[in-house]
This record gives sequence, C-alpha cells and structure tokens, in this order.
Amino acid sequence: MTTSRAEPTGVSRSAGFVGRLKQLQFQEYALVVVVILLFVAGAILKPDTFPTWDNVRNMLTQASVIGVLAMGMTFVIATAGIDLSVGSMVAAAGMFGGVMLGDTGTSSLLFIVAALAFATALGTVNAISIAYGRVVPFIATLAMFSIARGIALLLNDKLPVSLLDLNGGNFGEPAVFSLLWFGTGRILGIPVSVYVFLAITVGAWVLLNRTRYGRHVVSVGGNREAARIAGVPVRRIIFSVYVLMGALAGVATVLLCARLGSASPVSGNLYELDAIGAVVIGGTSLAGGRASIVGTFLGVLTFALIFSLMTQLNLSTEVQQVTKGLIVLGAVLLQRPEARY
Amino acid sequence: MSSILEVRDLVKEFPGVEALQGVNLDVSAGEVHCLLGANGAGKSTLIKCISGAHEPTSGEILFMGEPLPVGDPAGSLKRGVATIYQELDLVDELTVAESIFLAHEPRRGPLLNFDQMHREANALLARLGHPAISARTKVRALRPAAKQIVSIARALSVDVRLLIMDEPSAILDEGEIETLFEVVRRLAADGVGVVYISHRLDEIRRIGNRVTVLADGRTTASGIPASTPTDDLIELMVGHKVEQLYPDRPTAADEVLLDVRGVRRLPAVRDASLELRAGEVLGLGGLVGSGRTELLRIIYGLDERDEGEILLDGAPLARSPSGAIAAGLGLAPEDRKSQALILDWSSAKNVTVASLRRFARPLLSIRGERTAAREQLRKLNTAPDDPDRIVRLLSGGNQQKVVLARWLLRDCRVLLLDEPTRGVDVRTKAELYRIITDLARAGVGVLVVSSELEELVGICTRILVMREGEIVAEIDGKTATEQELLRHAVAPTDSPDLEEEVV
Repeated sequence: MTTSRAEPTGVSRSAGFVGRLKQLQFQEYALVVVVILLFVAGAILKPDTFPTWDNVRNMLTQASVIGVLAMGMTFVIATAGIDLSVGSMVAAAGMFGGVMLGDTGTSSLLFIVAALAFATALGTVNAISIAYGRVVPFIATLAMFSIARGIALLLNDKLPVSLLDLNGGNFGEPAVFSLLWFGTGRILGIPVSVYVFLAITVGAWVLLNRTRYGRHVVSVGGNREAARIAGVPVRRIIFSVYVLMGALAGVATVLLCARLGSASPVSGNLYELDAIGAVVIGGTSLAGGRASIVGTFLGVLTFALIFSLMTQLNLSTEVQQVTKGLIVLGAVLLQRPEARY
Repeated sequence: MSSILEVRDLVKEFPGVEALQGVNLDVSAGEVHCLLGANGAGKSTLIKCISGAHEPTSGEILFMGEPLPVGDPAGSLKRGVATIYQELDLVDELTVAESIFLAHEPRRGPLLNFDQMHREANALLARLGHPAISARTKVRALRPAAKQIVSIARALSVDVRLLIMDEPSAILDEGEIETLFEVVRRLAADGVGVVYISHRLDEIRRIGNRVTVLADGRTTASGIPASTPTDDLIELMVGHKVEQLYPDRPTAADEVLLDVRGVRRLPAVRDASLELRAGEVLGLGGLVGSGRTELLRIIYGLDERDEGEILLDGAPLARSPSGAIAAGLGLAPEDRKSQALILDWSSAKNVTVASLRRFARPLLSIRGERTAAREQLRKLNTAPDDPDRIVRLLSGGNQQKVVLARWLLRDCRVLLLDEPTRGVDVRTKAELYRIITDLARAGVGVLVVSSELEELVGICTRILVMREGEIVAEIDGKTATEQELLRHAVAPTDSPDLEEEVV
C-alpha cells in the first residue's frame, strides 16, 4: 500500500472510508471481545460446567441452526429486506419431509430432499410476491409466517413425526450421510452440523464479498434506483435472496430435525428473531447497503454464549426472551445513522 | 440598514477536517447577500452552523444582536431563521400542504385544521407564482423543481427574518428562476435578510446586493458589491483565473450511432425523433418538464414507450437498462445522489458496479477493480485521489466524475448526461466540459440535457429544443444563442415576456 496521494488543496484527509471501514470492523472486533468476555464470564460463574468441551460442542450444535438461517438473513437484509417467516418455514419443511417418509420410510435422502425442496418452494413464494408482486417484504413474509406455520400444523394433524426410524429407532451411531448423522455425528470430535454451519458461512462470505452476485445484492440495498441505472437486474436479485433464504431454511430444517430425531409442527418458533438479531448485532445495516458475514457469524456466537450461560445460571426462558429482545434493541440503537456533514 | 446576522471568526472542525477556519459574514435586513465558493469551500457547513444543524467549534453567530442557540434547528427556526437546503429534505409520502406545515401544523383543538392548512398552502404557492401546484398532491409525485418551490413555501410559512437558500436555482429552469427572483426581491423589500448561495455567477448580479466569497474554509472577501466583475469573483473563489470555460466544440462524424424515431410516452413525451452521431455533443434544451429527462429514460430502457423505435447502429436497442448498457450506452442521471451513486460505497465500487463481469474470474479481483477504478478516476482528475473514499463525502463535482468514470471504464459509445454540471463549481464545470468534449473527440456520441442554456451554447455541436414533449427546433451550436434557445423552449404566447426579462 504505497500509493502516493496528491493532496488537493483545501481537502484534508478525513476519516472517510477508513473511518467507515473501522466502524464496520470495530463492530466485528468489539464482538470478538464480547465473545471472549462472555466465555470468561461463563468460566468464572460456572467453572465446572461452562468451559467444558461438552458445553462448547453443545453450544455450537445449537448455534448451527440459527447460524445457517442468519447467513441467509444477511443476504435478505443486505437488500434492505426482511424475512419473518424462517422459523415457520423450518417447521413446515420438517413436517413435509416427515410426512413424505410415511410410516415405514427409511430413506434419509428422501427426507433431506423433501425438506430442502419444500423450504425452497416456500421461499420462492416469498420471492415472487416481493419481487414481482411488489409486496413489502415485511408483509409478504409476515403472511408466510402464518401460512407456513399453518401448513406445519395441518400436515400431520398437529402431531410431530418421529424420524428415529431412519436410524433403527434410536439415536445410536448414525451411518455417514444418514439424517441423524447431521445432528449427532462427529468428525474429529466436532459435530457434523458445525461443519455444515462453517461451510455455509465460508460460502456466504465468498458469495457476498467476492462475486458479482454479492456485489449486486448489496448495491440493491444501498440504492435501488442507482443499482438499476448501473445495470443491476434489481428484481432478479431481490427474487434470488428470498429463494436463497428458503433453501437455507431447508438446510436449517435438516440440522434441527437431525438433532431432535423428529419433526415438530411447533419447532422453529421465533427463530426469525434470533437470526435477525444475530445479523443486526453483527453490523449489517437494516437499511441495506452494508453487510458483514463475519459480523453475523460473531453475532450468532454471541447469542449462543449468552443463552448457554443463562441456561446454566438457571434463568428461565422468559428472562432469556426479554434479554434477547433487549440485545437486539441495543444493537439497533448502536447502529443509528451518524450525523451527516 | 441594520445588521440582521453577524458571523464572527467562525471555526468548525470535524474529525480530521477543518471545514471552516475563520469565516466572517454580515447580512443586513432587506438585502440579498450572495455566498460564493467552490465546492468544498465550506458554504454548506457555514449555513448549517447558522441554521443550527451544526454546532460551531468556536466563533460567534449573532442574530439581531443576540447569539442563536447552537445545535438547535427548531429554536433557530422559531426565531425566524429558515433554511432551504440543497438536498430537498421533504417527505415523499406527505402532501404538499403537510410538507409546508410540517412540525407547525395549524390546529383546531387537538386536531389538524386541514382547511386552514390547504388554504394557507395555496396562498403561499400562489405568492411564489406556482398556483398550479396542488396543496393536496403528494410530494412523491412532484418533479425536483416543484419540490424546490414547496421547500421555499415551507420556509415562508414561518415568520421569516433571515432566509438562507442553498443553490435554489440549481434545478429550476429560466422561467422558474425569474419567478423565484421575484419572490426573493419581494421578501427583501419586506425587510427579510436573504443569504443566497449559487454557482451561477450571472445570477449574483441579477439578484444580489453584496457578495461574500469563501475559499478553503476562509472568507476571501466579505460584503463586497455584487457588481464586482465576474473574473474577480472567480479569482477570489478559486485562487486563480479559469483559463477557458468552454473547450473547442467537437465536430460530428457521419456515422449515426443512435437513431430515435417517433418515440412517444404520454404525457411527458409526445413525439421525439433524433439522430446522435459519433463524435458530437448533442444538446437537448427546453424548460423543466418539457420531456427531456423522460426521453433519456426511455432511450436508456428505464421507462417503457408507447410507440416509436430506438436503433443503435441500425439495430433495435434492448428495452432495459442492462440491455442498453450491454449495447454500449451509459446514463449519468439528473440526481446523482438518489439515482446514480451508492453513497455508502467507495468511489472504486461505484465505478466498477457496471463492469463487474470483467473482474470476475470467477471470484472478483478486488485489487484489479481498485486499480482499474483508480486509473479512470485519475484520468478525470478526481479529488481526492483515493478510490477508497466513500462517495457521500465527495463534493458534487467529484461525485459526477465518479459516475463518468463508471462509463469510461465500460468504453461506452453513447453517453446520456442529464444536467451534468448541476451543483458543480465553476472550476469543476470547466473540467467537466473538457471531459465531455474529449469523449466526443474519441468518437463517443454524447447527448446532454441541461437547463443552463449558456452551457448548451458553449459546448454543443448541435442543440435540439424540446417543448411539451416534442422536439421543436434544431440549432447549430456554433451560431446558437441563449435567446434563440429560450424562444423555442417557451410556448409562443409566453415568449415576449420571458425574452425581455432575460435580455
């Protein structure tokens, strides 16, 4: 970086881009510190149970479901959109997969394909109504929030479907690439679901930061009209992020059902809040135009740590819910646009 | 005359930037005081300090002998300091009347008094000479010029003692400017002090009493007569004489690049045909609302057309922006901030956004992008020489260069420029004219829409005039005069009036 800069008269170098960059990175660095502090706090408060390999593994496994959703949500929010339906889509896709298996189904592949396809289809419905029906994302996905939950409940008469038949009726020793392997299997001691989450994170980072598509996504959120005039296929981009969100909801469904060994019509409740919260505390702008996959990743870890800690401190889920909301609110408050000059 | 506003040794620092480094300004009641300065000289910062939007670092601002509350725009407004900013800060979803009375709505008990609001709004608009703007229209539906009028009406809706206008004429056409001047003169006659910021030096003599010049955050002249010769003013603004504002006019080749035949999109464009040749700068003049911008948008594929054909090199042009770009078109739209730029992005990313395919192999080469963007930005002499600078922080002229660099990077063959020098200072204007002319010399066909007649006369090979959605005249650039353009631009019945005022 040895570029010479001609200093134009009267324009002193301001914090400019560097300031912006630092601001974004600041949030990322700050989150790294938060993650470490939370871990240290846990280690001090619960030295026997918190800083253990078991607990870390547990946290990461649980975080992977929200994490996968949060990656998709980062793309949606980067276009200045929102998807409130992800939790319901997870439930509906799981139920659809379970019902497709029938009573004696033993094909993991069938479940996985069915769940992925169904979630993607639901996401596509969102995409069509938002990109081509010009429905505001908040409303379109709020409708889907209700529709998908309803479908989940309808599919098996409000009853969950056990998926343990895929594994001989119990949780023990799943075969590689069978459904339960994604939930309970391990490679080198680390759960498979964590690998899936990490792979999707890396993929999302590359897609957002190093491809034409990713740049187009952020441009649409930054200034839709300008993006259109610059030749970005705005409608197609908006369409695509909701389809992508649906597909990733499908992946999250597979991870969740694999871990629980069942599909439940009431699962995934309020997952959208966790995913949106992780994205927002990661520094992605709700107004669009600025997105950070690293931030989202750290946001997911932050949430996971906080809830693991609170659970271990025997705080009720109600308290956890209040805390969750407050954290999201705080993150948005910190993100207020700075005064312009 | 009594002094209504006194600014003494005003200093305003932002982190890393000394925007104002000792500014003095003295405005009397009943005068129109012009504020001149190149982009980045500190004019906007100064007026934001006066209006209370910024808190000065040091120095005094006395309004009618008393200090104004710092950092309190509402308090300043209450005392009678009204500001009309360059960026029209109106809410799209409100009606005209609601916008005018926003935050001081007339009420009947706890409820809004809509009757009174509409009545007074109509009265204000009539006073501004724009009774045709309906108080019940949504702001969204208004063109920029009409929004400007609403902003002015809003300033007038309080009992204003000091009116600050930041380039009010930048988006108005000649007729509207004269109406605006009438209003300003009337306000001054009522004892209101007016601070008038403009880049158009000719306006200063038409409207101003005295002039204060800013350069690099300092006042280089305070309260000198408005009759000061233009050359002297420019020298005070830029520190040196602008050698030549307009470069030599390029000549057209025989090859027709763009052929527009009988295009129609009601109500704005009724029937427009034109041929754009390689190597020429073709001007498109006319009043605001005559359909010029709309015609550009149709050519570029942003808006559908009802009828007509558009050919590039004899083949039909795609009907979408991405198709038009692929065929070699580029558009620098009317409103850079809302239509051309992603303000939170760096210059580099704004330049490459239309050419990403060339950097994708298949992953984007960020370094390659940056290098290519910098090369184009340097060609245009963009300041600062920093492709990572966020474009929001650039001056208007440099923002425009970023937009042009985007199309230079694509080697585009037809460039559509809508008000390319709006809000740009004289020195940068001269640079932009040279860039435009050089592009034409390199074989690009340039179609320029402008409300500044002088600029069309100065740079164009040929000039077309639009009126009410039709192209009504074609004039050779060498022989064109502003009066002639204006005569064609206004409807025949109005022309005698306006001509007299302009001459």
